[in-house]
Amino acid sequence: MAKKNEIPEVDIIVDHEAGVIREVKSSKLRSQKAHERRVNRGIYILLTIISIVWLAPFVFLLLQSFRSYLTEDGGMVAYLIPKTFSLDNYIFLFEDGTYLRWYGNTLTIALFVAVIQTVIVLSVSYALSRMRFRGRKLLMNVILVLGMFPGFLTMIALYFLLKQLGLTQEGAIPGLILIYTASSGMGYYISKGFFDTIPKSLDESARIDGATRFYVFRRIIMPLSKPIVIYTILMAFMAPWGDYVFASYVAFGKSNSYNVAVGLYRWVNTQDYQGYFTRFCAGGVLVAIPITALFLMLQKYYVEGVTGGAVKG
Amino acid sequence: MRKFFALVLTLAMTLSLFSFVANAEGYTGDIKIWVADSMVDLTKAKVEDFKAAHPEYAGINALVEPVGEGDSATNMITDVEGGADIFGFAQDQLSRLVAAGALVELSEENAAIVKAENDPGAVGAVTMADLMYAYPMTSDNGYFLYYDKSVITDPSTLEGVLEQANAANKKVYFEINNGWYQPAFFFGAGAYVTYDVDDAGNLVKANINYATPEGLAGLKGIIALASNPAFVNGSSASNAMDYAAIVDGAWDQAAVKAAFGDNFAATKLPTFNVDGKDYQLSGFGGFKMLGVKPQVDEAKLAACDALALYLAGEEVQAARFEQSGWGPSNLKVQQSEAVKNDVVLSALASQLAYTIPQGQYPGDYWSTATALGDDIIAGKLNGLSDEDLMAALKDFEAKLIALVAQ
Amino acid sequence: MVDLEYLKLSRGQKMVHRLMSYLKRLPGRIARGFLKMLNAIGLFFKHIVEEVRDVGQTFIQGDFKTRTSFFIMGFGSIARGQVFRGLLFFLFQVIFVLYMVFFGGYYLSKLDTLGTVETVKKGRVTVYGDNSFLILLYGILTVFFIIAFLYTWRVNVKQNKIGQKLQKEGKKLKSAKDDLAAFADHQFHKTLLALPTLGIFTFTIVPIIFMVLVAFTNYDYTHQPPGKLFTWVGLDNFYNMLGTGTANFGDTFRQVLFWTLVWAFFATFLNYFLGMMVAIMINKKGIKLKKMWRTILVMTIAIPQFVSLLYVSKMFAADGIINSYLMNWGWISKPLPFWTDGTWAKVTILVINIWIGIPYMMLIATGILMNIPADLYESARIDGANAVQTYAKITLPYMLFVTGPYLLTSFIGNINNFNVIYLLTGGRPLSLELAGNAGHTDLLITWLYKMTVNDTNYKMAAVIGIIVFVVTAVINLVVYNMIPSVKNEEDFQ
Repeated sequence: MAKKNEIPEVDIIVDHEAGVIREVKSSKLRSQKAHERRVNRGIYILLTIISIVWLAPFVFLLLQSFRSYLTEDGGMVAYLIPKTFSLDNYIFLFEDGTYLRWYGNTLTIALFVAVIQTVIVLSVSYALSRMRFRGRKLLMNVILVLGMFPGFLTMIALYFLLKQLGLTQEGAIPGLILIYTASSGMGYYISKGFFDTIPKSLDESARIDGATRFYVFRRIIMPLSKPIVIYTILMAFMAPWGDYVFASYVAFGKSNSYNVAVGLYRWVNTQDYQGYFTRFCAGGVLVAIPITALFLMLQKYYVEGVTGGAVKG
Repeated sequence: MRKFFALVLTLAMTLSLFSFVANAEGYTGDIKIWVADSMVDLTKAKVEDFKAAHPEYAGINALVEPVGEGDSATNMITDVEGGADIFGFAQDQLSRLVAAGALVELSEENAAIVKAENDPGAVGAVTMADLMYAYPMTSDNGYFLYYDKSVITDPSTLEGVLEQANAANKKVYFEINNGWYQPAFFFGAGAYVTYDVDDAGNLVKANINYATPEGLAGLKGIIALASNPAFVNGSSASNAMDYAAIVDGAWDQAAVKAAFGDNFAATKLPTFNVDGKDYQLSGFGGFKMLGVKPQVDEAKLAACDALALYLAGEEVQAARFEQSGWGPSNLKVQQSEAVKNDVVLSALASQLAYTIPQGQYPGDYWSTATALGDDIIAGKLNGLSDEDLMAALKDFEAKLIALVAQ
Repeated sequence: MVDLEYLKLSRGQKMVHRLMSYLKRLPGRIARGFLKMLNAIGLFFKHIVEEVRDVGQTFIQGDFKTRTSFFIMGFGSIARGQVFRGLLFFLFQVIFVLYMVFFGGYYLSKLDTLGTVETVKKGRVTVYGDNSFLILLYGILTVFFIIAFLYTWRVNVKQNKIGQKLQKEGKKLKSAKDDLAAFADHQFHKTLLALPTLGIFTFTIVPIIFMVLVAFTNYDYTHQPPGKLFTWVGLDNFYNMLGTGTANFGDTFRQVLFWTLVWAFFATFLNYFLGMMVAIMINKKGIKLKKMWRTILVMTIAIPQFVSLLYVSKMFAADGIINSYLMNWGWISKPLPFWTDGTWAKVTILVINIWIGIPYMMLIATGILMNIPADLYESARIDGANAVQTYAKITLPYMLFVTGPYLLTSFIGNINNFNVIYLLTGGRPLSLELAGNAGHTDLLITWLYKMTVNDTNYKMAAVIGIIVFVVTAVINLVVYNMIPSVKNEEDFQ
């Protein structure tokens, strides 16, 4: 993909009299080459600066996570590099059960959401892309309109809905899985766009052969949709790690039901926790590592997803 | 089979009947308790002690959660039913909690005990319209000056403190955009702001004189502080950097001790100078308290009452002081040698002489004060004439009055 | 203007022309839209009348089985051998009746007042009265349930009509097996959509309707169930917000709205162009280590924002690392007011948002740039175009054409970009110039959040939510009408 469309490396010039394109090496071209090299050098410098700026916060975060809260200072300090590198913060996270609990909660939520949401999103997008039925346009328009309401508007209503089901505080984890996935059908745009690009003739020939819609969905469309399936799973898996707003609203007053975002946020923003800053950094690093690794591994699918999504809206 | 079921059923009914009889005096079931994170273990242990001492309450299952005094009121108000049965909160939240129906008043017996055992300021703080709504837990919710002895030798004037800090290239922390710390200047200069409360916990009237020469002096004091290079806005010791002095409360003493080491010192707030005149910084004297939320079950209410009384009582207050240095409101604990000799609490006590007891403030008082503080820090009031400053104060005052006029 | 003249215009002029003609057509469009709406309402009533007539006819012409089904749903189906269907109808009716008698009826009857029984104290024990919140919530659910019941009842009647007719003609009715098989085939969309739409209905539609209605009540912390009641207050909250009420809300609202739009504009377009530039740089021929540059940038997407943004926010604080280093190096004598000055804070947020946004745009642009036909560039080179010209004549137009819809969604997304603002500043700094606890960097959405969570001022939060909806809807409509490529979904197939 990358190779195919790159501009070819040869210099070409049109010879109008002969009516052909010819490769030419001339002094003018050599000076162009020099110019090119200067431009490239400039770009390298720029990219290096950009890389430093982009990586700096993470390097800082990592450095501070190695500053011991026991022997040095667990709060904010005016220097970056710890006087001695220690793993005290990480040891605290593993020994003090609460962090592991939060981590486990988040992982549970993320796994369930990844599965359920993917099934829902794919179902909705398949139905909307492939089938024509009464109310299809209406459904799409309703979803479009609903999407224009800001998400936090309904927070209090959702909280009490979940409460009626016993899914707040102690039951916050299933509760959160429920809210994250319940309306996920509204995010069908990208995968519908993907299904739209699969030729309809494929389904039709199968249907003529007597295959049911369900068969077509499972045996013909799904195998072709690996990129979008992986993209959907990836997105669904990543989102719960960062949610503070709903998670804190649903789980309040029950520390065992927090996710990592809520727990860590409290460490730096609540007066009760003094000198937890370096432990926050360490906790953040532990969250960031697996997510980043996963993301980098599946980057290809992500790019396909967002690019497709951007083009098709 | 049927016989077996009948037997089980009879047995269950008999048991439940018995348990009902046995519980006529006591209570069996969950009680949710919210306290600060550092107090969770202590509270759990003390609940066990309580159960041992009161066999009728041995069936209590205490669910202690780390929800600090800062968050509890907001969470309680969001969902009273889902909130804790017993929860700690800071005094300024009292009227808001009463208005939202999240507090039940004390029984007459408990009220009498609380009145007799705690200092009058604390009793006043839990009282609203002649009813007591909570159990005082600490009398230390005030602030004073922590400083580094090696840098600041004379902490008596604010100007001096700033100068010495500047000389050592260190910082002075004071959270002037916080409605709790900010009045130190206004009150110190002789201005005041208080609100009257009616029976239902609604604030009905503002008493305020900020738009006066006294208020002006206070405002000028804040502006002078904010424009000093050593000044940093903030009051959280563990997030403060490179500081020589910080205006903060007793709860942060561990962090400050860690930062200053042997040079740790604490004292009353300094004086500040405006137009050649010295004023002593004042501030709020406040309290932390335990509240019980309204209950539909009489037995549970009685259990909560008894437990809250105990958790706010002499024994547990002493334990809190020992563990984390929380300043007691209980008169007997206050008289103990350890409390009397405590550096932090004596600093607080010496500042107490200059403070006013903190009453009830509308929720938006805090954000309005933050707005003024943010404007000062952003430099919007720098270099203004006295008339312009007075206009700003009038605006501020009008806003504070409008909070209850709505 | 004829087509030829239009084609001669420059790109900018074309844009202006399109905008002007759009605005010129706008009144007509609105009028037509209005007529269309009236028409639709008319059609709706006509449809209802027809339905009612059909129901009447079914009853008159119906046999005993059909007529009984009017009162006992599913009777006809069972009697005609469609036991499975009939049982489902009957079960639904039973559930509905039980629901209404034991539950729904109570809430429905209280919906007009939202409760009248106050909470009282018996001694010190609390006896809770009506719960306005639950009355409103279950009231809405009950209304929907009634609608669903009426619809099902209608389907039931229709089924009888069809069944009666088919039996008369001697045709066979569908068996339960046929019904089930259909759900895997031509009714497959129902299988696929049942659960998702139920989820959307319960957890999006009902809560939205609930909150929209809250905007017309006095629900705040002084009217907090279960201890207190709240009730309908009409349009009071809207008057307050839009300026005719007290407390200076109107002025603040305009400022917050203005900043929200400014923010969305810059956040969208700065990231768009800068991200595209970075993508072009990385993809330029002769630049090595393409994958590494991309990976470094992409890491910011993968790391949860509550970690990175909270950290970055502390970095820029008055006593944060950036200020301390700048002061240690002697470059500045006083901390730079990144977060404390309103204007500084806005600019800082925009800059940090570039840091967040460039990687996304870089990825998108990379994907699209690769799809630009290479021969376009070749011919441009042959014609002697330089880099800037190539960009202006080929890359940019292509990108703009292809990413039109993305720009729209990203603009709307930025209007509701909660995380960046909340985690960086929480809307601060506040100012006496602003009312309702709004800060200089507050967007409508963060303001709404603060009102919900910190002030428990649900009624005002609901009003803001409705306004955000209106703003989003208007922008969507206008842009939708101006970008031709968004409209026709079939084009992509």
